[in-house]
Amino acid sequence: MLDIPATKTSPRIFFSEESKKLKISGESYPENTFAFFEPVFTWLNTELPNYDQVTIEVNIRYMNSSSTKCLLDIMDMLAEAAENGSNISAIWYYDPENERSHEIALEFGEDVSIPFIIKPEDQSGQS
Amino acid sequence: MCDLLQLKEIFNRKGVLISFNGSLTNSIIEEIGNAIRQYLVDNKHGKGTISDVFAVYIEQTQNVRNYLKISGLEEKYWSTILVISNKDGNYQVSSGNSIRKQDVPTLLARLEQINNLDQAGLKKLYKEQLRKERNPVSLGAGLGLIEIARHAKEKLDYQFDEIDENCDFFSLIVTIQGEPDA
Repeated sequence: MLDIPATKTSPRIFFSEESKKLKISGESYPENTFAFFEPVFTWLNTELPNYDQVTIEVNIRYMNSSSTKCLLDIMDMLAEAAENGSNISAIWYYDPENERSHEIALEFGEDVSIPFIIKPEDQSGQS
Repeated sequence: MCDLLQLKEIFNRKGVLISFNGSLTNSIIEEIGNAIRQYLVDNKHGKGTISDVFAVYIEQTQNVRNYLKISGLEEKYWSTILVISNKDGNYQVSSGNSIRKQDVPTLLARLEQINNLDQAGLKKLYKEQLRKERNPVSLGAGLGLIEIARHAKEKLDYQFDEIDENCDFFSLIVTIQGEPDA
């Protein structure tokens, strides 16, 4: 069970057992970013081997540089699961009205080794 | 009576939008961040500019706060000055805080390294840092200054002044383009 509620400065992080989606959405600049993401790393370490399919969906309005580091570490852990035979992919939503948001998505995608889809958030119907 | 009018005139001349002088707590960082975002929205700035100013502001203030937390400096050194201003259509985020003398050479070397790089070089350095093992003592990922420089229009403007035998005062002024290149 992974469901961390959003605050003004930190995203909601939720894993849906039904859809096998790991969703991260909101703002991400918590005071102590590494401490904030620690439960997610723990969950990935212990629970990820139990699933043969996971899609990570990221929809973040703003993230600080430490959050970028944490998200990349999460992607690396998912890539390891993919190497062990799991079906892993990522969807990254960006704000089509914000050119920076798209640049961030593209640059982040350069460092990710799992299938990485970039979508404008309006077409997704997601928030 | 203090010279508030005089202070106001200085602020007007310097284009000061928000200034804060004191111990920078997390909730103050949050509130000022919300205020500056809202100000930029109200002034019809594009989302790109808002992102740039907000990113610089958050990295700069969280850098200062994280540093002061791990520095072991006494509380009397915690007072930080923060100024957000608009100068000739560009935005400036300026911060000034105490730094232990022994930490100055490392910071200075980092600032010089960053100022010697162009955007492509900054991106490369950012990616290298992103892949480095995190320093367990540090509260950040060592990315803050690089991130700031990547959003800045000009080279980082910095200065160190002596406070006393223990500490210097580190000033950092970051200029962000008011609107993206047409």
